[in-house]
Amino acid sequence: MKKHNGELEIDEDLEMDHRTWTVQRISWVVLLLIVIAALLGFTGRGGVKGINKTTKKTASQTMEVEYDRFLRDEVEGEMKISLQNLKTTSPSLFFSKEFYDKVRVEEIVPEPEHVEISQDGITYTFRATKPEFIILFYTKPLHIGSLQVVAKGPDNETVTISQFVYP
Amino acid sequence: MDTIIKGAVIYVFLLLIFRISGKRTMYDATVFDFVLLLIIAETTQQALLGDDFSLTNGLLLIMTLIILDIIISLLKQKFNPIEKLVDGSPLIIMDKGQLLRDRMRKERIDEADIMESARDLHGLQRLDQIKYAILEKNGKITIIPQEEAS
Repeated sequence: MKKHNGELEIDEDLEMDHRTWTVQRISWVVLLLIVIAALLGFTGRGGVKGINKTTKKTASQTMEVEYDRFLRDEVEGEMKISLQNLKTTSPSLFFSKEFYDKVRVEEIVPEPEHVEISQDGITYTFRATKPEFIILFYTKPLHIGSLQVVAKGPDNETVTISQFVYP
Repeated sequence: MDTIIKGAVIYVFLLLIFRISGKRTMYDATVFDFVLLLIIAETTQQALLGDDFSLTNGLLLIMTLIILDIIISLLKQKFNPIEKLVDGSPLIIMDKGQLLRDRMRKERIDEADIMESARDLHGLQRLDQIKYAILEKNGKITIIPQEEAS
């Protein structure tokens, strides 16, 4: 062991300490940036509108999907689907296969009248009394990473829902 | 499997975060640090267990953490650079009665911290009674008094 001033036995490593201080200070900035990003909504659950909460519409504007872009593993999220100018009293919503593979639907408000699962996806059929109809899906993602679901409205127009699930 | 991965991730994350925060962060149990420690412990527990409170999950988690701790301690014992990387090294902050202010500033230590340790460990009353003050790996300040004061 090294002797400091010829008397104090100490295993000091100043080079290492200098490096550590530099890494520490850079890391503090990184931590602060992560917290700011979380406040803005980049890690899901709230934040500034437009960063996490996203709205997508079909070309004819008859279906609007409002959803969280960032989700967390096994944490419930809400998806709001607004249908307008409905021509039928039993509108159907189709979601691609990923919706039942990678997501668990906890609750649907209002409840669908009929649900059908196929190789391609899942179809929910509702009973609508007015031409404007809102459906809420409460879901929990079951897989970490990118999640892409294609939603098809009563007019056969599609919207791609792109989400990212944090661990 | 999920529990083991979660346990390993949290262990490494806590190791990193405390290393990043500096030696002094978790040493002094002031009211503020105590609150911080409690919140971190509670958050960690929830992140580790999730909604699985089964005995299997708890036992698996404890085993994972103990195994990781053994692996790290074996690595530290065998490779000195790893020990320094994980634990850091002691640092002289007062040399022959002279305060090394640049080092103290970097480690967020002031004279009051040194005097607190001097009073606590040796019952010293003044700074000039101290020969060496060393910031240890665990964040504790050890004091070597001047010969005439001892």
